[in-house]
Amino acid sequence: MRAFLQALSLFLFTLLFIFAAYGLPEWLPADLYLRLDPLLTLSALLAKKEYITRALWSIIIVGATIFIGRFFCGYVCPLGVTIDLGHFFFWRKIKFFHFAKDKVLRRLKFYLLLITLSAALGGLTISALFDPIPILTRFYTFTLYPLVITIFNLILDILRPLSTIFGWSTLQHSHYAQPVYYMSLITFLIFGLIIFLNRYAPRFWCRYLCPLGALLSLISPLGLFKRRVNQNCTSCLKCQKSCPMGAVAADPRQTHLSECIQCRTCAQVCPEKAISFLPKLSSSIAGEHASPDLSRREFLYGVPFGLVIASLTDRTPYTPLQGKSWLIRPPGAIPEDEFLKTCIRCGECMKSCVTNTIQPSLWESGLAGLWTPKLDLRFAACEQNCHVCGQVCPTQAIRALSLEEKNHAKIGTAVLRREMCLVWAENKICLICDEICPYNAIVFRTIEGFRRPVVIPSKCNGCGWCEQKCPIQGEAAIVVVPMGEIRLKDGSYIKEAKRRQLEFRPDPGDDKYILEQSGLEAEKESSPAATKPKGFL
Amino acid sequence: MNRREFLKVAGTGLAMGLIGQSSILKAQEKYDLVVISGEPAAATQKALEVMGGISRFVKKGQRVVLKPNMSFSRPPEFGCNTHPQVVVTVARACLEAGAAQVLVLDYPLGRGELCLEKSGIRDACKGLPNVRVLALEERKFFREVKVPQGKVLNRVEIMKDVLESQVLINLPVTKSHSATGISMGIKGLMGLIWDRKSFHFDYNINQALADLATVIRPQLTILDASRALVTGGPGGPGEVLKPNLIIAGIDPVAVDAYGVSVAPWYGQKFKARQVEHLLVAHQRGLGKIDIDQLKIFQGKV
Repeated sequence: MRAFLQALSLFLFTLLFIFAAYGLPEWLPADLYLRLDPLLTLSALLAKKEYITRALWSIIIVGATIFIGRFFCGYVCPLGVTIDLGHFFFWRKIKFFHFAKDKVLRRLKFYLLLITLSAALGGLTISALFDPIPILTRFYTFTLYPLVITIFNLILDILRPLSTIFGWSTLQHSHYAQPVYYMSLITFLIFGLIIFLNRYAPRFWCRYLCPLGALLSLISPLGLFKRRVNQNCTSCLKCQKSCPMGAVAADPRQTHLSECIQCRTCAQVCPEKAISFLPKLSSSIAGEHASPDLSRREFLYGVPFGLVIASLTDRTPYTPLQGKSWLIRPPGAIPEDEFLKTCIRCGECMKSCVTNTIQPSLWESGLAGLWTPKLDLRFAACEQNCHVCGQVCPTQAIRALSLEEKNHAKIGTAVLRREMCLVWAENKICLICDEICPYNAIVFRTIEGFRRPVVIPSKCNGCGWCEQKCPIQGEAAIVVVPMGEIRLKDGSYIKEAKRRQLEFRPDPGDDKYILEQSGLEAEKESSPAATKPKGFL
Repeated sequence: MNRREFLKVAGTGLAMGLIGQSSILKAQEKYDLVVISGEPAAATQKALEVMGGISRFVKKGQRVVLKPNMSFSRPPEFGCNTHPQVVVTVARACLEAGAAQVLVLDYPLGRGELCLEKSGIRDACKGLPNVRVLALEERKFFREVKVPQGKVLNRVEIMKDVLESQVLINLPVTKSHSATGISMGIKGLMGLIWDRKSFHFDYNINQALADLATVIRPQLTILDASRALVTGGPGGPGEVLKPNLIIAGIDPVAVDAYGVSVAPWYGQKFKARQVEHLLVAHQRGLGKIDIDQLKIFQGKV
């Protein structure tokens, strides 16, 4: 039963992950697991100190945990399922020894929780570094997803001669665009470490490190379902040895309720059938071993430590430089300061991005910006027909916008670097930026006797097609900089764009103006040919 | 069946065949171009009929490649892609003529799946058996061939499916182009090759296009002039006029030449001889360019 529910949960998580892509229906919450995660939402709320609508979803998990107990870890958590799978495949046969340091290590997760929450209070969002749901989402996005696509394409390539012979034309022409990400390997190593730690204790991560588990364990002793041992117990200690969480106390009749994930392994192995998990209302909060092993003193150390971390991470030149940031954020990203606090670095936007332009940042905006999304426009552009990144953002650090609104959320402005441009520097005939620009923001004007491309900033919304397609080697001769970006916490981008007198709509009048003075070289202007558009004799 | 009956039947069949064929030959010789005014689907249908039916080009069991322009993720009203109804009408005709398979191919400039979706061409062809609408964006789908008559182009990588199919029907749209003036049939052939960059930067694009037209020779060109993107091409947005015409012909230069005449480009009237790549192609003997010397069927539906 438990294995089935776990498999179902992992399946659902994977399915929602796959659905987080261009074409996602409006009604489908692809970021469901991230929304349900109370630690993520709590830390985002603490950091932003403002109400986040999607955070309400996590009340479901909090409520269910108060009612049932810490079932989330044993039945729902997809990382828990993955860890159990790893255990089953690799370390099933290993005999685990009791850790001498077990009790100390167990406190780690509470420290992590404390640090995470107090850092959030200090304005730094680090929950994503330790929370299982973003860890798994990032592993899926940066590692698994590109790998699976590679394997798919490999299989298709192997089958291609066969599908050609048999005329299976769909198969014959199939190819999946290969997604690539900057931090694939790092993500893989972190995830690998989490799985590998189970070599030393079953559910090492959940026992000792997981701050989400720690948060849930604080409220789980209230739950209705509790492990109960009846008189038949012979103290054979089989339950104690089999418990993956080490939640059975020295006296096997007692339970560390905050650690118990209700997996019921103990009930299955008990030779006397002395253990039950029947719901029972009890007046006291279970009495025995209900609270976590964290003293008041340790609590008092943890909070300032988190605040110090938050404050040190924030007190770098990166913070005052935020206003001068050179990162291009996804369209609809809220103002930078709030963005950094609200973004939980889950990687969902990067997975869903249809052109693969949204990439994780490493140090570009300081430690506080680790893993936050940025657009790599030299690599790929932001597509006009897609607005999925905001749709899947669980904390709405990138706002869910209609397509029309999104196309008014200017992310930057293209700047032409004349010293590198083929046309400006070498008098070559190149028009790629003009050809590809979806907003007609690049026009040709006759300057110093030659037709030169010029950017009209009020028409450019920073999509980056020009930068991506610029044919010169290395850095593009036309680059999008954050200048003029529109970052709104709320309200309409269309109205804001109007207020700033920006025009992102097709305007056929413009090209006429350019072409009146076209003809490649102005020397020819005396001849009638000079008044003709390029390509005509 | 006795010998007499056999001879009668066979004779009748032979006679019918000859008559049928001669009528086709007549149609073939009668007109250089067929120009039909009307809604895209009906006009395309009529143009095919006047050309002598698609069976003149597509035989039973053959594999056909249709090359529409579906290079941009924009809907038909922007005028930068071929109208879906033109594509679907020709695809259906090919199937009726007994084509084993119809591949609708392009190597789009935008993201492939989005171009197929937004152009409306994939949806329009949905439900037609053995018709596949594909954006091929990987080098493995291309193969290098020599260009024996090439002046600037020695080798070019062309879509394997084009090289391996028996029939190629070009379905361009009439639009302006910021490098070549206009982009129609011959310019549209660039959607079948891998390396387009070198056309823009390494070679004279007009010479290279003529070179390309010597190796990719569509049996039939049906130019979609239902809309003409007269400014802002090739991708738009720009001014879209509605000539409401479908132009069909075997001579790729002649079809494009007529296409130049259907609308003022960037507000000016041009003759085909003023379009450099068409002139070069004509001078290289690839087709007729002066439309006033062509026999043109003009009709309305």
